[in-house]
This record gives sequence, C-alpha cells and structure tokens, in this order.
Amino acid sequence: MNLPDRSLTVLIAALGGEGGGVMADWLMQAATARGYPAQATSIPGVAQRTGATTYYLEIYPVRRESLGRREPVMSLTPSPGNVDVMVASELLEAGRALQNGYVTPDRTTLIASTHRIYATAEKMQMADGRFPEERVLDAARQLAKHAVLFDMRQLAQQHGTVINAVLFGAMAGAGVLPLPREACEAAIRRSGRGAEASLRGFAAGFEIAAGERAAPAPAARALPPATREIIDLGAARLRDYQGEAYAQLFLARVASMGDVGAELVGETARALALWMSYEDIIRVADLKTRPARFARVRREAGAGDDEPLHVIDHLKPGVEELASLLPPFLGRRLQSWAERNGKLDAYNVGMRVKTSGVFGYLLVRSLAWLKPWRPSSYRYAEEQALIERWLAAVRAAAARHPPLALEIAACAGLLKGYGETHRRGKANFLAILDALVENPATADPAAQAEAIRKARAAALADPEQRALERTLGRPVTWLRTEKTR
Amino acid sequence: MERAFAAEIESLKLGDGAVFRGEGILAVTKALLQSGVSYVGGYQGAPVSHLLDVMVQARDYMDELGVHVEACTNEASAAAMLGASIAYPVRGAVTWKSIVGTNVAADALSYLSTAGVMGGALIIAGEDYGEGASVALERTHAYALKSQLWMLDPRPDLPTIVRMVEKGFELSEASSTPVIVDLRIRACHVQGEFAARANRAAALSTRHRGAPAGFDYERLSHPPATFRQEKHKIEVRLPAARRFIAEQKLNESFPGDLEGVGIIVQGGLYNTLQRALHLLGLANAFGESRVPILALNVVYPLVPEEITSYCAGKRAVLLLEEGQPEFIEQDIATTLRRSDVQARLHGKDLMAMAGEYSAELMVQGLRRFLGEHEPRLDLGGGARWLESVDGVRKRAAALLGAPLPARPPNFCIGCPERPVFAALKIAEKKTGRPHISGDIGCHAFATFEPFSMGNSILGYGMSLASAAAVGPMMAKRPLAVMGDGGFWHNGLLSGVASSLLNKGDAVLLVMKNGYASATGTQELISSPPKDARDASGRSAVHADRTIENALAGLGVKWVKTVHTYHVAEMQKTLSEALTTEEGGLKVIVAEGECQLERQRRAKPEVARRLAAGERVLRVKYGVDEDTCTGDHSCIRLSGCPTLTVKDNPDPLRRDPVATVIEGCVGCGLCGENAHAATLCPSFYRAEVVQNPSMLDRAVARLRALVVPA
Repeated sequence: MNLPDRSLTVLIAALGGEGGGVMADWLMQAATARGYPAQATSIPGVAQRTGATTYYLEIYPVRRESLGRREPVMSLTPSPGNVDVMVASELLEAGRALQNGYVTPDRTTLIASTHRIYATAEKMQMADGRFPEERVLDAARQLAKHAVLFDMRQLAQQHGTVINAVLFGAMAGAGVLPLPREACEAAIRRSGRGAEASLRGFAAGFEIAAGERAAPAPAARALPPATREIIDLGAARLRDYQGEAYAQLFLARVASMGDVGAELVGETARALALWMSYEDIIRVADLKTRPARFARVRREAGAGDDEPLHVIDHLKPGVEELASLLPPFLGRRLQSWAERNGKLDAYNVGMRVKTSGVFGYLLVRSLAWLKPWRPSSYRYAEEQALIERWLAAVRAAAARHPPLALEIAACAGLLKGYGETHRRGKANFLAILDALVENPATADPAAQAEAIRKARAAALADPEQRALERTLGRPVTWLRTEKTR
Repeated sequence: MERAFAAEIESLKLGDGAVFRGEGILAVTKALLQSGVSYVGGYQGAPVSHLLDVMVQARDYMDELGVHVEACTNEASAAAMLGASIAYPVRGAVTWKSIVGTNVAADALSYLSTAGVMGGALIIAGEDYGEGASVALERTHAYALKSQLWMLDPRPDLPTIVRMVEKGFELSEASSTPVIVDLRIRACHVQGEFAARANRAAALSTRHRGAPAGFDYERLSHPPATFRQEKHKIEVRLPAARRFIAEQKLNESFPGDLEGVGIIVQGGLYNTLQRALHLLGLANAFGESRVPILALNVVYPLVPEEITSYCAGKRAVLLLEEGQPEFIEQDIATTLRRSDVQARLHGKDLMAMAGEYSAELMVQGLRRFLGEHEPRLDLGGGARWLESVDGVRKRAAALLGAPLPARPPNFCIGCPERPVFAALKIAEKKTGRPHISGDIGCHAFATFEPFSMGNSILGYGMSLASAAAVGPMMAKRPLAVMGDGGFWHNGLLSGVASSLLNKGDAVLLVMKNGYASATGTQELISSPPKDARDASGRSAVHADRTIENALAGLGVKWVKTVHTYHVAEMQKTLSEALTTEEGGLKVIVAEGECQLERQRRAKPEVARRLAAGERVLRVKYGVDEDTCTGDHSCIRLSGCPTLTVKDNPDPLRRDPVATVIEGCVGCGLCGENAHAATLCPSFYRAEVVQNPSMLDRAVARLRALVVPA
C-alpha cells in the first residue's frame, strides 16, 4: 500500500470562549472513530481569558490497522509553510496566521470568519484605530491556496449556535479533511448538549464552503455622502435640532464659503452641521425620549415584543450643564467661577433615570421641551462665536490654499465628547487654532497645512495630550476639574 | 472549580487492556494510580492544573484506592509533602508549574534530596517555557543538577510519558532519590491514547495505616548526617541511578544509515526534531530517520557509557538542548573529553542559545551541521522550504501594510477586578500615578491596555515585599496589588508580616474574588462558604472574612473592604489610602466574587427558571449611538470584550461609535464608570422582563399611554 508521505496538519486560531477546544475535540473524535492516528495539542493557559489562542492537530489519513506496528510521529507544534488547513475564528486572527507564515499558496486552505472582534488597542483610540479589513482579506485571497471567507458569526447566531460549529462545517465542506460529512456529524452528535444547534450550524458552514449555497452577503458599507447630500443631511439635522431658522443659518454659512470646490465645501459643511448640533442637555434629553430610540434599545437588548423593557439612563449633570442653559451673562459668571475654583465637576449629580417609566420619561422629556430656549442660552452664544471664528479661518485659507482650508475644517473633529473629554478636545482645538491657524510660524500655506495635520494627529494620539504638547512645543492649557496642589 | 472532569474521572478507572484517550497530563494522573501512589499533592498552574483538579474532584475514588490528595497552599508545602517518602516505603507525587513552583519549593527540595527517599517520590513539573509561557524563562534542569534530583524529559507521546512515570518511581526507589518528570506545555495538553493497566492500591495508605517510623538520624537532613548524605548521593545513589537507566533502556537509540553523524536530543524535543528531519527529506512520517538519533528520556543524570558508545566512531554529533545555559552539552563535552572520544560535538554553536526550539530553527541548525559533516547530502528541500517561508512572511507583511494589533489576554466579561483598575485610573487623575508593584494573577492583565499599569512583577504574592524599598524613596506612597491567591500563597508572610515588622508605609490592594482564578478557580482557605454560594449568582465572597481577620490578627490597623463595583467608593478609598497622613500599612480589600464561579451557578438556574416559565430579569447595557460622539473614553476605562466599537450609523460622522455587543452580562461597570468618571450620558441599562407576570404586562400597557417605549 502506498502510504502518504506526511500527516494532514490543521491549525486553529481562536479567541478564548469560542469553543476552539471543542472543535479540536470533534476533529479528534471524528478522526479516531475512522481509525486514523491523530493528535491534538493546544496552548490554553491564561490565553483562555479572552486572548488569542491556538489548537494544532495532525491526522494521518490511513487506518491504523493497515499500518502494522508503525506509528506516525506527529509534531506538537505547527511550523510555517507546513499547514494544510488554517482555521481562524476571526478576521484579525486570520491576519495573524498570514503574518506568521502559516498560510502558503502551495498547500494551505484558509477557512476564516470575516467578522471582527476588535482588539483593545484598536477600539481604545480616540478616533478610528481599527485595522483595515480589506488588507487582511486581500492578503488572505492572495496567500492561500484556497480561501473560504464569510461571516460565520452571523451564521452561528442565525442557527442559535457557537461559531465553532460553522467553522467545523466549513472545514468539512471545503473538502480538505480526510473525513466524510457523516463522520464529522457523528462526532458532534456524540458531544451531546447543544448538538442539534451545532449540527444546523455545521450544515450551513458545510454547504457554503462546498458551494452548495451562497455565503451571506457582507453588509454593504455605505458610501461617504457627496457634497450635495451632506448639505441636505446637515440642513435636515439642524431643522430637527432647532428649527427652520437654524437650518437656514447653516445653509447661509455654507453659502458664505463661496465657490471653493466641492470637497472643501462638503468637508466644511459636514463639520459645521455636527458642530451646530452640539450635544447639550436638551439634545441628549430629546434623543433619549424618542420612540425610535426605545425601539432601538429593544432591538439591541434582544427583547421580544411581549417582553416589558425597562430602560435606565446614567446621567450626571453638573455645573457646566446648568451654566450652558442659563442666559449668557449668568452662565458666563457661573462657568468662570467654577473654572477659577476647580468646581467644574464638583457638584455633578449622578442619576439613574428610568426613562421608560412615566416619571423618568416626563423628567427627561421636560428637558427636551427647553428647545425654544436654546438660542438664548450661554452655550449657544459661545458655540456660535467659536463657529464663526473657525469658519472665518477656513474661508480665509480657502482663498489662499484650499488644502490648508481643508486641514482647518477638519480640526472641528477634535470637538467631541462630554464633560472633561469635551473640555480637553476644545482645549486642543483652541491650541491649534491659536498657534497654527491664526498665528502660524510660517508663511508657506503648504507647510502650515502640514503642521496642522500633524498637530491634529498628535491631539488624537493620546488622551494625556503629551503628543500634542510635543508637536506644538508648548503646554496645552485646559481646565482641570480640580486645582492641582 | 472552573472545569468539571466527570468523564475524565471515569477514564482514570480504566483497567488492563482498555484504551485511555485524553490529555497528556491526565495520562500522567492515570500513570500515578497505575504505579500505586499513596499520596498526591501540588499547587495548580498551567500546564499541570488538571492533574490536581481531577484528583480533587475524584476524591471518592481516591478514598477507595486509599490515596491522600492535598491541594497545597503553595509549592513549598507540596514539596515538603514528599517528606512522607523519606521514612516510609510509600510512593507519592506532587505537581506544580515550573520554573516558578520549583523556585518556591527549593528549600524543601534541597533537604528532601539530601535525606534521600525510601518510597518513590515524583515531581511532575509543568515546564512553562517557550511559546505561551507565562513565567520567567528559566530551566528546571538547574535544580536537578544542584540538588541531584533525577530528571526525566519523555518523548511527548502518551505511551512513552506513561512508561516514564512508572519507571520514574522505580528509578526513584532504585537510587533513593526523588525524580522530576519534566513536561512541556504542549506535552501536557497533547491528546492521544495508550493501553491502560489496572490501578494499584498501595500497601500503606489512608485505608491501610501503619506505625510511625523509629528514630534514625541518618534520615534527617541535619548535621552531621548531611555530610554523609552528600557523599552518599554521589557515591551510591548516582551510580545506582545510572545503572537503572542503562539496564531499563530509558534512553532510546534510533538507528539511521548516516552512521558517521548523530543527533542527541532531549526526549521532549523528539517530535519537533522528526518534523525538521522530514522537512529536510531525511525522515519519513513514521520517524524512520537517516540520521541516527539518541533520545534522552532521562536528561539527568546522563550515563557516560551510553554517550561514549553512541559517539564512538562518529565524525560529529549534534546536541539539541532547549534553553540555557547548555547544561547537557557541557556534561557531554566533559564525558567525551575524559574518555577521549574524538567525535566533534555541536550544540549551541549551531543552534540558538535562548528560546524555544521550533522545527524552523532546527532545520537551520541541521543544515549547518549536515552541511559540514555530510557535505554530499542534498539538503536543497530544506533550503527551499526556509526560503519560501521567509518569502511568504515578507509578502504577508507587505500586503498587511502594518503589524497587526496584539491581542493579549484580558479580564473576563463581568470580571470584578476590572472596576478596581477603572477606579484606580480615575483616582490617578487627582493623586497622580503611584509606583504600582504588580503580582501574579488575573489582576496582572491590568498591565495590558487600556490600563497599562505596573512597575514590577517579582513573583506570586511578592508585590508588597517588592515595594518595601520603593516607598521610603518615593514622594508618593507605593501601591501593591495582590490577589487572594497570592495573599495565601506567600503574600501574607512575605509582604504583610514583613511590612508590619518594619513599620512600612504602603498600600496593599487585595483582590478578594474568592478563588485562585487565573489557574481555574481552585478553592482557597478564604473561598466563600458553600451555603453562601446561592444560585442567584450574586457575589458570595463577603460571607468569608478570613483575609480581614488574618490582617487584624497580625495587627493591621487600616483595613477597608470595598465592593469592587462601587467604582466611586473604590476611587475615594484608593485616593484616601494613597494620601492619608496616617502611617503604617493600609490594606484595601477589593471584594467581588470571580464571575466565572458566579456565572457557573447562575446560568443553569436562569435556564431552569426560563424553562419553567418563571419571571427572569435579563440585564444588558448599551450605548445610544446618536449621543455617542465616538471619543471612546469609556473603552479606555474598561477594556471589556463586550464594550467595543462599530461603524458610525450617522452618515455625517466618521469615527466609530461605542457599542455593547452580545455576551454582556450586565455587570454594571459601564454605568458605574459613566458616573464615577462623568463620562457621557450615552450608557443605558436595559432590563428585559422574561416570562412577564400579569402585573408586568398591565403596568407596561398603562405606561405605554405616556411613554413611547
């Protein structure tokens, strides 16, 4: 008998809690039941605690009884360039397998779910720190001999099972295992609990990988809106925010840009619409009490139509929120008193408001009813003044050097968040506006634009502002919540 | 305990001829029973936790066999347990994670090996070295050498591992010396099979008790006996061991046609070597190699005659020895020089001095070795493989464009320790960051993002002790973080008692989660009483006050117990402890039961109540996507796997918004953080009433008249 030269190797990359170990057991079970010598190893340890973890199997696809007394020697560790089936339960982990050389064009079938579970390092960034998915997908298609890529998490959810069942199905369906479908299914059945759901997930994965049914289409990424659309969206947003007059103010401000090119008008309008609809207590109260919001919470919490739902909001208004609602002369005084005495966060009242209850709803809704008062408030006055100052800078730059104007317009993106986060963002914005926009060290607009771009990136690089301070070469002063000793 | 071993316990009972299928470390457990052990002990830690865990869970069966099982409080007490084999003819085994466990056990091991043993004494050491290791990278081998403990490093297949455990007891008895069975991580976790034999009940056991031994000074590690014992080790026990190893052929020689060269390999590396030879085209799938191999299942002591007879007549020999320094290479070199065998000896000159030996590294080393000593051999296949691997990695790097973000382990969803570090991060804004001395345990995950905290880690339970000399030199008081596992393992004496004796002024933060959680939630002396662990899944750790009482008993004046989920209170307590004028040791007991244990109790209960149609309140947190501005400050205070980001649904915004995905257990940290840090108003708590009562429905209908929910 002509014996195969080597064992089939399977490397599984999973995250803790996804059932990677169970899948390895299924494979072992199926192989052993066929009489094939097989071996599995893993590095669980603390990696079980939600970190990346791997399982490695080797299967020698010949029944033991036809081997006589010979026993294949199997490796306990995978080696790069030597993996037949690479399984990844998540896209970034597939990327890691690519990076480590475990996926090679001569032999590796890559089976990976395309959904993302973001690493802490990706999601904690102040702006968008996500690793570009397209690059991983592209590399996967180029480096694998055969790649089976689809969103298996979604499929698992659809079938009420765990992703390992779908992955196992895809593995079997891709035709790379020396195990018939029935053997795999028998292994799942033997594991008992949850077997029926697992089998449904297995079948779905199998049929998609075998080309018997189509993979779920990836959710289409919305294209960024074009300039005309941005202006319409902005006007609609501000009509909703404060009424027709406010929307007209927005349109007038956009018109004041003049004919400076679609990109610049679009970017400025986008930033302007967001800024003009700043998140004050009235806005938050309004958004929190809309029917659409309750419907969304119901959806996100997975509540059935007949299941009563309680929604409790965590609100903590303080001096700043109060001052923002007062008439400018009073608000300004309160705010500057609080700033001088380090009391900005001193009197915040932590509230757990049951917005879905009658009392809680009316309490929050009543704040939303303050909308007509907003134009007379302190914060309104402050925001409009700063908007005009920024817009003037954008217009002036547009006349000189449009790329510079784009950079200035983009700086408005630094204004976000609430409370201390917002104060810090505003301090960063003002520091850049003052140092690089209004008092530039260079007369060359291209150099100025570059300096602003760098400063903006630095402002988003770390929440402690050290990078921005290094870039500007001076401290960024902002209002700390308490006086430092 | 995190894992239940019902099926595994059954496989421990298998009799003659049955096929045992399972994990390496459980095969070892079975082998202990087949060898007729009277007692087993140890301290948990990957990769050997399962050995002890399964035995603890199989208490009834162990009773039947008369085996005493002890879950020791640290490795020193485990090593000291082997003292039973000094004066009595009983077999016993202990286990721990090495190098760390062996370090802790070292004192007892010195005395044990000096006195020598009457009954076979085995130490099952989980060698946590190389990929996936979580400890300092050092070799257990050093202890074998300095204490004259024999060390087995079996080929990593179940039949060999089992045979070596059984032979280990015989070797121990034949040479009156304790034996270390060293198993690498993957060998402990390897799934395979072996033909079982029936378990043996020991003659002297908990079922058949004997009389205390008479006085025999020669069994005491005490001068002047110690002087005689040292000589005895070298003059009697060592030769006896070598004789046994040679006679029983514990080391295995595999022939090959390229007789002019040879490879000597640690048994544990044998399979990787086979893969490397296969890649070079020098071995087939069945391990039939063209290069002769000597696999050392016993790495200490070596049998000089075995080495010289293997090397005699060869031009050159390559030794594959993982880790540093190259103890075996030095040993062999000495042997060859003394006996004037002229084979060239290669080892660390061709292979890396440090780090795990992968097949890739071995292929590189073998190419150099064979290139020099078998120059006519075609090694082109190996070269092409190395090149292609290199090429693929480069292509992948180019296509990916940037290194991928790392994904280190993290606190579990709902972990009660996460809120403590959130509180500390908030407290730091006012107090400034203190020197933080870290420890071993789940809380060490705070060294990763988003917390990135800690200035040193010096071992299990060592955090307070390692801050002793920092405090007196710092403007700010240092903070030592310790788990309850570490507290009982070592911290109470090394840290607390020492700080009190020296009137230290530091802050100790003890994570009272009730278990040794990182290793699989094993029980501690301060684990909550069983009747306090109810099916509601509420934290039960408040029901045990052993830690607080121990601190009070030692004389700590400033002790505050704070529930970890009270983030604002925790923040206040931390600030106070770090800044108060009061001197002396200040201890904050951060109380909150390990969520793995809580969920383990609550999940079946919730499932039962749902099935029975009873009312269940399910809690999930969420983020309002239209008020979230995408600054992610909430994530920087949490790092919870279920608090993540998604595409911004607002077409005018670009940065992703925060979102809470499925898997959220409703622990409440999001809301606590939003309040404690005054983050933002976007977080909500959703309570879904499952199986609502009539009253629930009626109230909901009335409410709907006003609220559009």
